[in-house]
Amino acid sequence: MATASQTTPIDVPVEALEKTWRFDVFAQWPWLKRLVRMRSFQFLVILPNLFMFYLFLIAGLFGTPVGNRNIIIVFVWILWWFVLITVLVPLGSRSWCTVCPLPFFGDWLQRRAVVKVRPGKSPGTANSFFGLHKRWPKALSNIWLQNFGFLFLATFSALLVTRPIVSAVVFGVMFLVATGLALVYRLRTFCNYVCPISGFLSLYAMTSTVELRSVDKDVCLTCKTKSCIRGSEKGWACPWNVYMGKLDRNNYCGLCFECVKSCPNDNISLFLRPFSNSDLILRGYDEVWKACIMLVLALTYSVMLLGPWGRFKDWANVSEAHDWGGFGMFAAGQALLALVIFPGLYYLSIRLAKWYARADAVPTKELFLKYAYALVPMGLLAWIAFSVPLVMVNGSYIISVISDPLGWGMNLFGTAEFPWTPFWPDRVPLIQVPILLAGFYFAQRGLQRIARQLFPDPLQLRRSLVPPTVLLLGVTLVFLKLFIG
Amino acid sequence: MRALNWKEATGVLAVLLVLLGLPLVLWHWRVAVVAHRYSPGTKVITMTAVADGGIWTLDEVVGYNYWRKKPTRVNEIPLNQGDHVVMRLRSADLLHSFAIPLLHLGPVDVPAGHTVELEFTADRAGVLTFLCWQVCSPEHPNLRGRFIVKGNNKEESW
Repeated sequence: MATASQTTPIDVPVEALEKTWRFDVFAQWPWLKRLVRMRSFQFLVILPNLFMFYLFLIAGLFGTPVGNRNIIIVFVWILWWFVLITVLVPLGSRSWCTVCPLPFFGDWLQRRAVVKVRPGKSPGTANSFFGLHKRWPKALSNIWLQNFGFLFLATFSALLVTRPIVSAVVFGVMFLVATGLALVYRLRTFCNYVCPISGFLSLYAMTSTVELRSVDKDVCLTCKTKSCIRGSEKGWACPWNVYMGKLDRNNYCGLCFECVKSCPNDNISLFLRPFSNSDLILRGYDEVWKACIMLVLALTYSVMLLGPWGRFKDWANVSEAHDWGGFGMFAAGQALLALVIFPGLYYLSIRLAKWYARADAVPTKELFLKYAYALVPMGLLAWIAFSVPLVMVNGSYIISVISDPLGWGMNLFGTAEFPWTPFWPDRVPLIQVPILLAGFYFAQRGLQRIARQLFPDPLQLRRSLVPPTVLLLGVTLVFLKLFIG
Repeated sequence: MRALNWKEATGVLAVLLVLLGLPLVLWHWRVAVVAHRYSPGTKVITMTAVADGGIWTLDEVVGYNYWRKKPTRVNEIPLNQGDHVVMRLRSADLLHSFAIPLLHLGPVDVPAGHTVELEFTADRAGVLTFLCWQVCSPEHPNLRGRFIVKGNNKEESW
């Protein structure tokens, strides 16, 4: 067993890492608090998105079948995806959920209102809800459905991101499922447990630079009304079923700000915080697998959509190539990599870490769950690196499609014939490489912070970091190879 | 309480406006705006090229029917001598090209998803072949059809 005297101390003191700063946004800018406390706030931010979403559905059904001339493909899979993954998630946590139109009709039916609050006594709440208001099954109260849903959609991504009708059907089905579930189950069951987008938002929101939290947790612990989770005459019961007194991660807070409205103690605020430095704990295998799936999908997307291998593209693009055998291999290979091989490699790295650090006192499960945080910033930054060329190379489609959103021959702003103009395509790798390296850095930094909590012995600590670091380095090198050849 | 109800009513109205207004605006554009873009008497023909099967069609080829149904091939389009025609040409899949050789009209590129306009006047009677001018797909040779121009004066035929 190593001792502290045999090693050099880790350069950053534990105390400094454990206490990260946070900046109270509402205290600094009270007008922002007044804004989100308006009853109509969420409705007003959802309405423009509802309009756009409706336009997308119409465009998917009745617009041109050519993807790069149809607004549903160009706006969703180039513009929205890029903004979501590079801006909204890292800087705004689950702010997409604040404005997402998918649960709008479900909420409307449940609440029988788009703006106002109905006080009442629906089970577990201080509000009146319409619908069966059943509890979601305990066995499904995790993100496994979201994991498999996202993987399933990703298997058909070559169709999803190029065929307007496929996107329209998928979003239409999500819309219907969200509405149907709202009538049967209480609160936002769809968002919490089913929505595949919500699944990865929950994971990557952990890294975000904002958080909604109670100002003073002691106030929450003495609060008798628990209006944040139960609702009140001023705000609806938390649609995400979150009690602010115990909220310590961004994962399952959809930033609807109902708790800000309903809190009788004015104890909830929006805070700024450092990137990838606060929510460092994954709490279940479902979250670990989500991290693995997302990282693997960033890899396979990069191979399929950015790589030079025509065969892989043909396998994925089954509607054009009609190579069902190839598609089967692609689908099975991707699922195997995401669900078995990569999690297996990660598990192996944890076993090796435990063996190399002689860390018999730390259960393998604990190490497996805790070190998995490293996959979160790594995955997010890999996705950002993957998304950069999408918008740089194909961003000009946004200019043309804004004038002719359905490909019907409109020319609303005179830009319908704007030619495809890649923006600095030769410099894409120069942007991707630092992003990837930043992902590796944040992953490594997260690992070190977690390791400090687990291993007081510096040598044990460092040894425990070696195998997962090698794995992360390997992943980074594979991405670098893909991006710069 | 009254103010809250007023807000609620406004909200519901706004949602209904979106749900009903958007399709109405789009329908108005298709029916009224496009029709009034051209001078009265102009015959507007919207035709779409589909590589699968090598088809020029007058059907709308859009998201919901692109895979579901094979469009109807247009072999012949009747015209009257003197008709002023605006062709609105579209491609549902890849780069096609359109020409009417006898009129020395085209070839013009018809890129996927774009609408390209071409005008001509059928000033003589006869048969005008139109076709895709560049090898676009394995079924390119089938991408052709004819305008049958019914004449007023037989001496002025092609």
